[in-house]
Order: sequence, then structure tokens, then C-alpha cells
Amino acid sequence: MNRREALKRVALLLGGAISAHVVNAVLSGYRPLPRYTPRTLSAEQNELVTTIAELIIPTTDTPGAKEAGVSQFIDLLLTEWYPAKDRDRFLAGLADLETQFQRKHGKGFLQGTSSEQADFLAKLDLEAIGARRARVKELPFFGMMKEMTLVGYYTSEIGATEELQFRPATDRYEGCLPLESVGGRAWAGVG
Amino acid sequence: MNNFYLAQKKVYDAIVVGSGITGGWAAKELTERGLKTLMLERGRPVEHRTDYITEDMGDWEFKFRNRGDRRLFEAEYPKQSQCYAFGEATRHFFVNDKENPYTHDPDKPFTWIRGYHLGGRSLLWGRQCYRWSDLDFEANARDGFGVDWPIRYKDIAPWYDYVESFSGISGSVEGIPHLPDGKFLPPMEMNCAERHVKEHIEKAFPGRKLIIGRVAVLTVPHQGRERCHYCGPCHRGCSAGAYFSTLSSTLPAARATGKLTVRCNSIVHSIIYDEKKDRAAGVRVIDRETKETLEFYGKVIFLCASTLGSTQILLNSSTPRFPNGLANSSGVLGHYLMDHPYQAGATGEIHGYEDKYYSGNRPNGIYIPRFRNLDASSKNPNYLRGFGYQGGASREGWQRGIAMPGLGVEFKKQLRQPGQWVMWIGGWGEHLPRYENYVELDPVQKDQWGMPLLKIHCAWSDNENKMREDMAVSAAAMLEACGAKNINAFISENPPGLCIHEMGTARMGRDPKTSVLNAFNQCHDVPNVFVTDGAAMTSSACQNPSITYMALTARACDYAVKQMKRGKL
Ligand SMILES: Cc1cc2nc3c(=O)[nH]c(=O)nc-3n(C[C@H](O)[C@H](O)[C@H](O)COP(=O)(O)OP(=O)(O)OC[C@H]3O[C@@H](n4cnc5c(N)ncnc54)[C@H](O)[C@@H]3O)c2cc1C
Ligand code: SF4
Repeated sequence: MNRREALKRVALLLGGAISAHVVNAVLSGYRPLPRYTPRTLSAEQNELVTTIAELIIPTTDTPGAKEAGVSQFIDLLLTEWYPAKDRDRFLAGLADLETQFQRKHGKGFLQGTSSEQADFLAKLDLEAIGARRARVKELPFFGMMKEMTLVGYYTSEIGATEELQFRPATDRYEGCLPLESVGGRAWAGVG
Repeated sequence: MNNFYLAQKKVYDAIVVGSGITGGWAAKELTERGLKTLMLERGRPVEHRTDYITEDMGDWEFKFRNRGDRRLFEAEYPKQSQCYAFGEATRHFFVNDKENPYTHDPDKPFTWIRGYHLGGRSLLWGRQCYRWSDLDFEANARDGFGVDWPIRYKDIAPWYDYVESFSGISGSVEGIPHLPDGKFLPPMEMNCAERHVKEHIEKAFPGRKLIIGRVAVLTVPHQGRERCHYCGPCHRGCSAGAYFSTLSSTLPAARATGKLTVRCNSIVHSIIYDEKKDRAAGVRVIDRETKETLEFYGKVIFLCASTLGSTQILLNSSTPRFPNGLANSSGVLGHYLMDHPYQAGATGEIHGYEDKYYSGNRPNGIYIPRFRNLDASSKNPNYLRGFGYQGGASREGWQRGIAMPGLGVEFKKQLRQPGQWVMWIGGWGEHLPRYENYVELDPVQKDQWGMPLLKIHCAWSDNENKMREDMAVSAAAMLEACGAKNINAFISENPPGLCIHEMGTARMGRDPKTSVLNAFNQCHDVPNVFVTDGAAMTSSACQNPSITYMALTARACDYAVKQMKRGKL
């Protein structure tokens, strides 16, 4: 059962108690973003993080990082999870990204075209992957950013159940099926 | 006054200490044989189904997306969080290390993984079940490490049958002499890559076998329990009751007799020993919540508080006759602690099945039975005894994206697809019994309930280290024979304890001078005290031990009740 079917069923069960507006809004893919005030990121930093996350995992036929609330997850990790030195390195890296982008393009990251932004991040990505392969202890900013984005996205309800598959429809184990017959998508994992 | 109290006191036929895998079995066997039994459990009550509070939760429903509260884990769960099954979804089934401390030599870490609650670690276990054979029961006699087991396979075989028939073990019949077949429910299925690896290993290495894991998970309805749904997160509890746990299986059976009393939050502090009668009279208990001291009396006492839990109680029960711990005239109580060396093996990519996938989360893997030191022709000159491999294949998930270059639409599209098939195999090895691996009571430090802390001294010897090298090398060689790519042999840092197969410290033996228990898990010195958990083990073999604990427990209960009926206890 996918989300659409689930919602239809809920609507039926409640005998129309959910307003048609809400059901239609949800069915047509509209979801108001959860409202929250970031605790570590400033409003500007939050916008930057939201934009970068969406560039890593964009909206396609399924919602991307923004709608999945990845920046809120990143703010949580920066506030309650990472040691202070990692948090500080991340924030310094974010500031550095803005400075470098300014220097190169003469405008802020948020003002860049999406291809300028993507090219810029692709370079940071290669550096970060290099550092990861060299087992550098202090992962550079973009390494942290990408990791948090992927974790935040694929463990969100959107990422796990819409982009990937969360749980099989049957309650059996079958070990060798044609990929297409299993929906052609990866399992999100059991957690 | 004292006499009046004694005259009034209630005496149970039996007291069972602990409610984990062995305590559950003892309660079932004793009550079904008519004994009024009191089960004492130090932890909180857990209700089957209702208390599996995280069972159906998706990652997004956990505050840290099931990645865990790192700061809390570091501060309060530094040991438990080393266990693969520990996390945001299961923390409530592990002890808080800060509240339940123990000590060890600074340079000899020991990772003691515990679950203090009704059901104990039966809720957490990986459910792998492999019988031992005479290769294992004769090992000590053969090479002289440890003392000879007082039993052989024929003594325990009917009890394996018995506990397997009730628990429900799925597996395949293979006819391997040193890994005897059991009473199996239908086996689970292997996936494409595992079948590939099986075929190639068995061809390249005649005599080796790769079989599906033998696991205490129901593949068909059994004993009123539902079959497995292949959902996967078993460590959170299973409302279907599809895997064997105290709560799904033995406790309901024991309760059905009407003869069981369960008391949770009851920390058994020590055994009350009656010098005149030369018997145990009961146990002293500290109420976990009120810290009040209570006494309970029983004709026979079964210690099932887990390997180190039971030994801690015996060590803490000194009397003038037993100044170094109850039933310790031999002086070996606390000694010969073992675990299994593991976390050495190899991983590799299996190519050629890119268009294939699996459906369902199989709570089980594969097993490669021991192939070293079985006989002269399989002798490895570098170490004694041997190891078996567990493992499995799966396709990489989105996590691979973290170390993969790329971003944007194409990247997202790639991660929507499953990645490479990766096979891993890792060894579980035998740990030689050694006197110098032991536990004692800390002479100074006590916990908040006044129990002296356990002080653990344990380290791997050269034998285990050499064996771990072979685990990695042989695993890589087998994957190579399968044509695997990107083979990665690994040997991880792995302190003893982390395999959670801690065993020994109140071993069985033939001679009261060198062992604590006889062939029926009965204390040589105090015949109405039985120890039927892992403390009883005389050697460690390399198989996951719990099914053997179950068989020994059921066998000891049968024996104890027969002895009671004959007036011998
Ligand atoms: C993650 C994990 C995976 C595992 N996988 C496997 C596997 O695949 N195969 C296998 O064979 N084994 C496995 N094990 C090991 C298995 O769980 C144990 O061997 C088994 O639970 C031991 O049973 P027990 O009854 O001795 O102890 P436990 O199940 O630990 O139960 C002991 C009980 O005694 C209670 N207790 C302790 N001290 C006292 C006291 N002083 N007073 C009162 N009560 C007390 C505890 O609270 C607990 O409830 C695994 C364990 C873990 C944690
Ligand atoms: S996978 Fe099977 S045994 Fe595990 S929780 Fe699900 S139904 Fe229970």
C-alpha cells in the first residue's frame, strides 16, 4: 500500500472527516513544511544549508531534501549530537563556502545560478571524498554536509517510503527475484 | 521472634534466579514437573507485545533517526553501545553502564553486554543455534586445556531434541558429523549471491560446506506461535512471537501451570546457606526500587542469572565453610572465563546478479561449519581447535552514496537502485579455557544496592590471535575462489566479552577438586544449588552457545526433580 492508497483509506475510514482540501492537498503532493526555528544555524545559514541539501538530493518525481526536512535534522545534529569542534568546523566551512563563492563569482552562493552552485559543490565533493578515502579524521565541511544530507533524507519518511521502498508488500523472504518484480528500487533498510 | 518467623515462612519448592534464556527454561521445566516455583528477576517487568514500544517504528520516528543519541550513549552506555544490536530503538533492553558498573584491568578491556529486565537477553539475542558434538565435548581431554567435560554428546542429544522441538529452530539437514542435525523446521532461503558463494566454495574446497543459518525463528506456525513475517528488527521485540524468547515461549508455558510466581525488581544478593543442614535454604534479595532486604526460601535453587551474574552471586555468598564463595571448595569458582574471538573475516563483491534482488528482511544468515583441526588431515599447525563462519550477502543501499562522488538528479537516481552484491563472512572461534582469565569481587567498590562490583580479568592468548588471522586469510581465500571483486580481509579490535558468549567461571567437571558443578549442573559442595547458565561451561567450542545452555538446563531440571522425588535433595 503506498501513501496515496493509505490516505484514501484513512479518508474513507473517517467517513470524510478529513476535509477534502487536506486530502487533495496531500494527494497532489503538497505538504506544508514543518515550522521550526533552527537552534544552531542562523536564518541565513539555514537557508544556505537547505539550498545545498536540495542540490545534493533535488526534487525529481519524488520530493527532495528540502521537503524531507533535512536542514532541521542537520540543525539537530549540530545542536545535540556533534562535539563542539565538529560543529564549529562545519559552521566555519559554511562561511568559507560563501566567501569562496563570492570571490569566484562576485555574488553570494544563494544568488548563483543552479549550475554555478552545482559546479562549485562538485569540486568540494571530490575534495571531501578524497579526504574520506585518506581516512582523514576531521572530515571537511562538505563531507559532513553530504553525509548528514543523505542520512537525513533516506531516513525520513519521504526518503524511506517514497524514494526507496520501506517494507515489502508480502511477508515472505525470497532471495533471488528479478529486480523489476521487486519494484526496481532499493530497500530503505531495517534500521 | 525469629522462630515464629521461620515457622511462618513460605518455602517454595524451587527458586529460579533470572528470567533470561536459561531462567525461562528452568521455570518451565520445574513448574511443569509440579514444583511451586519462584522466579526472581533483578530488572523491571516486560510485557510481551505491549512493551515492544519501538517495534513498528520507522527511522523517521526516532529523534536521531535511529542513529542514536551520541552524547547520552558515550556518557551512560560506553560498553553497551559497542554491541551491534544497541541503539535508539533498543536502548531500553540494555543496562545503563553508569548505573550498573563493573571493573577490569585498564589494559585488558572486557565488554560485558547485559539486559536486566524480564526476559533478559532472550529479547536481544541473534537466535543462532548450533549443536555441539564430541569434537567439542572431548576437546579438553584431547589437548589438556581445561578439565574433561563430565558429559558427552549422547548425554545431551535427547535434550537438544527436546528444547529444539519446543523452541522451533529452522535449518537444513546436512549430515555433518561435528555439527549434528537437529529437530528442524523448514530452512530459510539463500539469496542469489549466497548460492553462488556456496557452489564455488564447496567445489574449490572439498569437505567445506556453506549452509543456511540455524535459527530460533519460526518458518511455519509452531506451538501456538506465528511464523516469521520477515520484517527484520527482531531486537526490538516480536509481537508475533516468531522468535524464541522467554516472553514468547517458556514464560507462558510456565505460567500456564499455575505454579509460577514471578517477582521482578528483585536483585539476588546471595544464597542463604544452612550450615547445619549443609544445604542452601534460600536467597537474600535487595528490592531494586526500595533497596529493602528480603529473604525467600526454597528447597532447590537454580542460578540462571547469566554466566557472570550467577558467579557473582556465588562469590558473594561466603560462609565460614566457604570463605571464598559458596560451593567453592575447589578454588576454581570465577576462573576459566571464556568468550568467542570474532570480528575477523572478509568481504567481497559478487558480480553477475545485477538484475536480481530479494524481498523481505531475513533474520538469519549463512553458516560455514568448522573445517580446521577436525582430524590429522585438517590440522593447522598454528593453533588449537577451530572456528565456524557466519555471514551473508546483501546489496548495498543508499549508504554507499556517502563515499561516492556525485550530487543532483543523476546521483539520486543511482541511489534509488540497489548497489553491488556484497558477501561478508566472519569467524566465531573457540577460546581456550585458562585459569588466568577470571572474575573476582572488587574488594572495595560496591554498586548502589551494596553488591560488590565484579572485577574482570580476561585477555586473548596467542592461540585466539593466530586463529583470528586464519579467519581473515581463509575467508579471503574462499571469496577469491568465488571470483569476488574488491576483497577486503579484516581483523577488528575486539575485546573479549563483545561476542556476548561469555562462558565458564563455575565449570562442570568430574572431580570436585577441580570443578564447581557435576555432570548435572549441580554444585558438588551444595547439592541443592544448580547453575545452568553459561557459567557451567567447561570449554567454549566455537558454536553459539545458548541452545546448549537450554539443553543443559532442561536436563538439570529433570534430574533435580527426580532426585527430590527420591528424597535425595
Ligand atoms: C545482541 C546479542 C546477540 C546474541 N546472539 C546470540 C546467538 O545468535 N546465539 C546464541 O546462542 N547466543 C546469542 N547471544 C547470547 C545469549 O543472549 C545469551 O547466551 C543468553 O541470553 C544467556 O542466557 P542466560 O539465561 O544465561 O542469561 P540472560 O538471558 O542474560 O538472563 C539473565 C537474567 O538474569 C537476571 N539477573 C542477573 N543477575 C541477577 C541477580 N543478581 N538477581 C536476579 N536476577 C539477576 C538478568 O536481569 C537477566 O534477566 C546474543 C546476545 C546478545 C546480547
Ligand atoms: S523478522 Fe520475524 S522474528 Fe524478527 S521481528 Fe519480524 S516476525 Fe519477528
